[in-house]
Amino acid sequence: MSIERRLIAREIRLLLSRPGDVVKPMWFLMLVISMVPMALAPDSDLLSEIGSAMIWVATLLALLLNTDHLFRDDFNDGVLEQWLFFDRPLAWLVALKLVTHWLFYVVPLILITPVAGLMLSITGNVLGALLVTLMVATPALTCFTALGAALTLGSSRSGMLGVLVMMPLFVPVVILAAGVLIRATDGSEVLPLLALLGAFSVASACLVPLAVAAALRLNIGGSS
Amino acid sequence: MQNKPSAFEFQGLTCERDDRLLFKNLSRVLEPGALLRVAGPNGAGKTTLLRILSGLYEADSGTITMAGDPVSESRHRILYLGHKPQVARDLSVFDNLQFLTGLGFDPLQSALKAVGLQHYHDSLVRELSQGQGRRCALARLWCSDASLWILDEPYTALDVHMVQVLDQRINAHVSQGGICIFTTHQPPHDLSFDTLELGRVH
Amino acid sequence: MSWRWFHQWGSPRWFYERAGRWQWVSGWIALILLVVGTLWGLGFAPVDYQQGHSYRIIYLHVPVAFLAQAMYAAMAVCAVVLFVWKMKLADVGIQALAVVGLAFTVLSLVSGAIWGKPTWGTYWVWDARLTSMLILAFLYMGIIGLRAAIADPDQAGKACAILVLVGVVNLPIIKYSVEWWNTLHQPASLKLTEKPAMPASMWVPLLVNIVGYYAAAFYLVFASMRALVLERERRASWVKEVVGRA
Repeated sequence: MSIERRLIAREIRLLLSRPGDVVKPMWFLMLVISMVPMALAPDSDLLSEIGSAMIWVATLLALLLNTDHLFRDDFNDGVLEQWLFFDRPLAWLVALKLVTHWLFYVVPLILITPVAGLMLSITGNVLGALLVTLMVATPALTCFTALGAALTLGSSRSGMLGVLVMMPLFVPVVILAAGVLIRATDGSEVLPLLALLGAFSVASACLVPLAVAAALRLNIGGSS
Repeated sequence: MQNKPSAFEFQGLTCERDDRLLFKNLSRVLEPGALLRVAGPNGAGKTTLLRILSGLYEADSGTITMAGDPVSESRHRILYLGHKPQVARDLSVFDNLQFLTGLGFDPLQSALKAVGLQHYHDSLVRELSQGQGRRCALARLWCSDASLWILDEPYTALDVHMVQVLDQRINAHVSQGGICIFTTHQPPHDLSFDTLELGRVH
Repeated sequence: MSWRWFHQWGSPRWFYERAGRWQWVSGWIALILLVVGTLWGLGFAPVDYQQGHSYRIIYLHVPVAFLAQAMYAAMAVCAVVLFVWKMKLADVGIQALAVVGLAFTVLSLVSGAIWGKPTWGTYWVWDARLTSMLILAFLYMGIIGLRAAIADPDQAGKACAILVLVGVVNLPIIKYSVEWWNTLHQPASLKLTEKPAMPASMWVPLLVNIVGYYAAAFYLVFASMRALVLERERRASWVKEVVGRA
């Protein structure tokens, strides 16, 4: 069996051993979304105006819930250092791990956002745009959160630091996605912006794993 | 199944950590069949040296080659077992070993039998005792085609019988032209080895 | 010849002693230029016909805003040097520059807010430049926080260098996206009307102050780098010699 298949199979097994990790971000998202009308007003016009932005930010925060676990257990158990002895570049293995993480942790979260959208009176093409922007943008976000997790592996009490360090880098993604949502609301052309967002995501997915691998190697070297 | 035997060599290794010189100008050539024990008091840099030799950590200076190539290019020919369990607690013994070795049920089962875990292949690692967990990691010695073994304290938490089994396995490995570098606080009786003493730099 | 010069940078003692001189020189240059430029700008430059006296904050705001960004660029250079030549001094540079850079960024944000009150009628607007400056402040904080969280100094240094490099690649993208976002959401009416040319009596003192603040930045960076070198090399004999002398 190839290393790639083994790695993906292992990620899926780990996921099945901790199904709560998939459910918790969704739970969090629904809770945050339920708070919005309570904090604001149960006025459907008002809610639909700010709703897509609220869902975007809430999804972003929900994504961040799992990221410290991304490498932490494997690092502490010493499995991560065994990755270096595989006959593959570490960045490639990291990229594979992130793809699996995106497919099994992030996509389920995105798939329930329409429910959250309906709760905030978002309908039609804005709901579609919300779903599409999240799908296109989350690979970049996943990469950056992984980098934050990898950089902070060396400190034992850093649950939040990785998030704080990486959040500023989300700015272009959030701005572009918001642009798409605004245009979808107006009914104007969204494709150019969506393409730009996609380009950023693809570029991040290609380059950030290299930085993640460097950060992991650094922390593996430093631990004994 | 064994890779072609080849020499392992390190020259002029120097490492300083936290402003403390651990070792300086360490050199050794290990021919196929060599068995080397790295000895020294606590904090002498044994683990650091093993991690440097396996390519996990970079020395401040010096070169490490395997069959003439830099060690970074032949890492897949190294089997490194460190202090950490090297297996995920939430996965079964079998799944862990399959991920690390890529082998199927039969070879893994015979490796598990060698370490006395054949009835545990379905157990999660977190359900095992400490000694059993250690044996799970050591089972890789029975199903690896790596020519260089780097073992950091492999005898920790093992019973008398398992120590003998491990000695036999290491002997078999070196007699087939493999190389093994290890550390231990209790020198094993059944092995003949060279010793590299650390902790003499001032 | 250039190689020898380059290797000297690897010696902490050589740097400590040489930088002491540079620190002294840049400190005096900064003091003279800043006294001249500030007095000139605040006291003698003409009054702006639109903004009155409140425009005079540019003699602080513009130089520190320049430096806030220049410090990040300098950090990126240090990060490259650290990875390519593994020079520990570059790591010290990143550590010093991050703190000084954050200080300048906060100063430019605060002075911008103070300027904003009389000009725009509010302390904070989501202007493109203010927003990217705010993000820059968060990036600096991340670098300082990451270093503080990792106990091993070598490891912390390399982790910070990775973060700096990722940040420097992203900074232009952040800047452009923020500018684009700003035009998307806000009419340009809040922007200051760009005047075709500042009279020399206004921009010459500004230039003096820009150079002065650069010299001050050199002073601060050298001073904190020297302190950090002493701290990191505290077990070396030359440090005991130097500290004993003082």
